[in-house]
Amino acid sequence: MELLKLRQRVTLAQKGHDLLREKMDALVIEFFEIVRKIGIVRAKTMQQLSSAYRSLSTCFAVQGTIETYQAAREAKKEVGVDISTRHIMGILVPTIEAKLVERHALARGYGMYATSSALDEASRDFERALGDLIKLAELEEGAREIALELEKTKRRVNALEYVILPNLKSMVKFISMRLDEMERENFSRLKRIKAMFEGRE
Amino acid sequence: MSFKIATIADAETAAGFALAGVQDVHIHERKEGTLAKLDELLVSKDVGIVFITYRIAEELGFEFRRRIKTKKLLPVVLRIPDKTGWLPKVDELHEIIRRTVGAEIIVKGGS
Repeated sequence: MELLKLRQRVTLAQKGHDLLREKMDALVIEFFEIVRKIGIVRAKTMQQLSSAYRSLSTCFAVQGTIETYQAAREAKKEVGVDISTRHIMGILVPTIEAKLVERHALARGYGMYATSSALDEASRDFERALGDLIKLAELEEGAREIALELEKTKRRVNALEYVILPNLKSMVKFISMRLDEMERENFSRLKRIKAMFEGRE
Repeated sequence: MSFKIATIADAETAAGFALAGVQDVHIHERKEGTLAKLDELLVSKDVGIVFITYRIAEELGFEFRRRIKTKKLLPVVLRIPDKTGWLPKVDELHEIIRRTVGAEIIVKGGS
């Protein structure tokens, strides 16, 4: 009875192992795709961001530190993002959409009179950089989630492959050996009893 | 659903992000204040993305990493270089890849 149950468990574990392995392969493919995308987007974003920092420094130099901080405080703060989630192999991955990032110079909210064009430039660069950063954030978060899931799946696959399956198999082997041994014992016992009967007659 | 963007940065970087229209800008001064702000951002329902500069993330160290590990799906936390363009030597994503895949992934070219 126990042997039958064990055999069932072995087939179940085997099936689970195969399924998980397939899931892992799919995740790896997805992961590679996302990592490739991150490489591209990241390079572009970093470039944009550094040029934004450069124009901000120019702005600090041209217009003065205090005025720039003032303008930053006055600027309208209205950027929002739409976030929804999507599933990749049962993992929740956020999708982020920026609503309105690049604005018209008049829509930014600081006064036109006291500010220079360097400030406009810096603002525009930062708005662009922000748009890129939002894209990058989406990709990186997705990659992080997938990587974590991949790690978990890998651990499960390894646990099944190297611990649970060998254990179950050795148990099956032990029980079947024991049953065989019992059968042999029984056989020899019967032989002996038969010989005793024959000797008595 | 619509979410806000938050930034934790030094004063100059924060000014730039404020110009771009980020609503919640926190200027990093002391560790405790920034940590408290980070906690507040992580539990708030309407913050979607938190940008934090690498330098500050590094300064917060273990406390920051623990919060990142235990956070929920949202908000997304992204680390960015600050105005000096300083980056840590070990990229966290590469570290995760190395741990899970067991090999370094080098993406060639930008197809």
